[in-house]
Amino acid sequence: MRKEIRIWFSKKGASRFISHLNLNRCMSRAIHRAKLPVWYTEGYNPHVFLSFAAPLSLGFEGERESMDIRLIEEMPYDLLLERLNAGLPPDIRAYEVTEPVMKPGEIAFAEYHIVFSGGDPEGTSEALWRILHNDALIVEKKTKKGAQQVDILPYFKNAGILVLGGGVMMDVTLPAGSEGSVNPSLFLEAVEPHLGASVLAKVQRLRLLDREKREFR
Amino acid sequence: MINSKLERILQKVQKPGRYVGGELNSVVKEKSEVEVRFAFCFPDTYEIGMSHLGIKILYSLFNEKPYIWCERVFAPWIDMEAEMQKNGLPLYALESGDPVRDFDFIGFTLQYELSYTNILQMLKLAGVPVLAKDRKELFNIVVGGGPCACNPEPIADFFDLFFLGDGEEVDLEVIELYRKCRKAGASKEEFLREAAKIEGVYVPSLYDVVYNADGTVQRYIPKDGAPEKIRKRNCMDLDAMYFPESFVVPNIDVVFDRATVEVLRGCIRGCRFCQAGFLYRPFREKSVETLSRQARSLCETTGYDEVSLSSLSTTDHTKLFELLDELHTWTEDSKVSVTLPSLRVDKFSVELTEKIKSIRKGGLTFAPEAGTQRMRDVINKNVTEEELKKTVSIAFNNGWEHIKLYFMIGLPTETDEDVTGITELGHKVVDWYYEAENRRKGRPVSVTASAAAFVPKPFTPFQWFGQDTIETLEHKQKLLKSTVRNRKLTVNYHGAETSFLEAVFARGDRRLSAVLLEAHRRGLHFDGWGDCFDFDAWMRIFADLGVDPAFYANRTRSFDEVFPWDHLDYGIRKEFLIEECKRAYRAETTPNCAEKCSGCGAACFGGGICIAKRN
Ligand code: SF4
Repeated sequence: MRKEIRIWFSKKGASRFISHLNLNRCMSRAIHRAKLPVWYTEGYNPHVFLSFAAPLSLGFEGERESMDIRLIEEMPYDLLLERLNAGLPPDIRAYEVTEPVMKPGEIAFAEYHIVFSGGDPEGTSEALWRILHNDALIVEKKTKKGAQQVDILPYFKNAGILVLGGGVMMDVTLPAGSEGSVNPSLFLEAVEPHLGASVLAKVQRLRLLDREKREFR
Repeated sequence: MINSKLERILQKVQKPGRYVGGELNSVVKEKSEVEVRFAFCFPDTYEIGMSHLGIKILYSLFNEKPYIWCERVFAPWIDMEAEMQKNGLPLYALESGDPVRDFDFIGFTLQYELSYTNILQMLKLAGVPVLAKDRKELFNIVVGGGPCACNPEPIADFFDLFFLGDGEEVDLEVIELYRKCRKAGASKEEFLREAAKIEGVYVPSLYDVVYNADGTVQRYIPKDGAPEKIRKRNCMDLDAMYFPESFVVPNIDVVFDRATVEVLRGCIRGCRFCQAGFLYRPFREKSVETLSRQARSLCETTGYDEVSLSSLSTTDHTKLFELLDELHTWTEDSKVSVTLPSLRVDKFSVELTEKIKSIRKGGLTFAPEAGTQRMRDVINKNVTEEELKKTVSIAFNNGWEHIKLYFMIGLPTETDEDVTGITELGHKVVDWYYEAENRRKGRPVSVTASAAAFVPKPFTPFQWFGQDTIETLEHKQKLLKSTVRNRKLTVNYHGAETSFLEAVFARGDRRLSAVLLEAHRRGLHFDGWGDCFDFDAWMRIFADLGVDPAFYANRTRSFDEVFPWDHLDYGIRKEFLIEECKRAYRAETTPNCAEKCSGCGAACFGGGICIAKRN
């Protein structure tokens, strides 16, 4: 038997600073520790076969991240989650197991929730509005061909801004797939000089979407 | 534990994962429920500290006590430390995020002399006075342990007490005493006086030092009932000794990221340059059952798929093959591989490589330590050229073609011939490759010879030896390079200047505290890191303070000189070391402890190899 499953997890707190490569190791260790009946690669140095849908930038929180593994034996999913979580750092929590519906290659967008805390919320929201209503927002994007000047403003036209409590929230859906992606950190770097020095931006990736903006499943 | 101040800083520094904790198996307690908080500080980066076994043992040991909460602290790298200072964020512990200045104990592990300035830097970042005398309360007790505690005099002014020897028992006794003293409302002085009565505890402030006119030590005068001699603590029964069931598993890359069990403590060999070989006497080993159980538990609680059998000389375990067979009963099914940190030239065999698959992975590393037989006899590295030939030939015939060899230069009695003997030996190893009939053809052989500059250390037969000057060392380094005749041989060496500084502090006395303090004031730290080490700045400090570093590093001492560490007792008799030193100069070897007891003195601990039956 060989059954592909998709494990959904959140990555928050201190675990935001686990790089993609290290997340891979961390998950492998947890799976190994949990003695899950998974498929290991063959060869001299066998390791757990696993793959992630889309890498998450260092420092971002992920609400609904996913990882695919192959089971070689049936196992109740709640038991699987319990055993897996026992071996993960406390800030990474696996909470759901599904059978994959889409391929990671179908991912085209990501939904982000950005919280600006500290400073004066009204001032922050005003500054953000102003930037979003400019003609362009030129940033330097590093590509394989070197640094390129690009206008990222069009991607942010759908952004929603809300002043709530002591902070400002911004929700935005950005391209995130094999056909190009826009990282919210490009926006944050560009707006930083226009915000108060004490304003702190924290990025959460809420979920991934396909080309039709249907939730990645 | 991440507050908004830290959050902001983390966005600006390299490798923020170093500074946030949150790892699997890290211990978080409720602070209102503990009585003693212990900040375990490793005076180097997270990656180095988290690779260290000692910190993992003591961390778990302390945290098993419900009333103690031990947390980890590492030296923030220079980018982080600059941000912390700019933003007024004091040094904090990784589990709670609480400032280190809120801790009852601030403990440092003393692994190498070049980390001393980091200790001062960490105290400063914590906002804790660096000088012990300026910390007047029974709080923020600064303690140290580890190999450099065998001569802690250069850092004596900064510490309240040192632990000598195995920490597993004595640390807890001191914490317990502190708890009692706090409850009784005792003063710091009262606590220290009581602590000095515990075997293995050295309280430097209870000793006055008298110097001779020539700058050498005349004597140490104990005060307030402190003992004349402080004997190191020794745990004789390693099977009964505490060992953790789990490790904190780092979230970021560290130097050694795997499960590690300590196979044995001490070493039978008696290499005359090796301080650890004397400090940890006598040789004691764990049983096969204990090791297998401990290794298994670690793998099961961490998820590691690699377990390292660590010690000074793992292949000297008397039941090594039995151990490997026992481990194989479960490691294969659990997909765990077993690794050895080092191999002795005379212990390498086909059988061993079959039992330890990991040896298969990369190149092989051996440490002949010296290039000529005479030189190897001087240092008592009982390895012959024949043995090396046999070993590398086995290796070449079994598919290896990369061999790495470790050597030292600047050894006592060393001549230019001994130095060029290193390159000669390297060339021979290359030749032996071509003589090996079953070598894998069509692959280039490569031999690397690394030469470290020898640093004489306390409690070794070479503790009287004046280190080669930097000029002599550099001459020898050039000699090495210039005698390489074959592209298949690479010779490299590292820093004569850092070795010089290490030699100053290794055998230094209390007057060097002032030098360290000044170096700290001038911003020096991370001296073990090439990008931070500033030799000229160090030399200016010595000159400005009128301290001659050559007095400590390059001066040859006489056998009747009193050393700043003579009042510390590691079980090794000074007469034995003198005898060993004389034998060294006559190029006479001494049998290892498994062959014959040479009466070093460590039998006073009443256990280990000293009481073992010999064939
Ligand atoms: S007393 Fe003898 S057996 Fe024991 S450590 Fe010393 S030399 Fe070795």
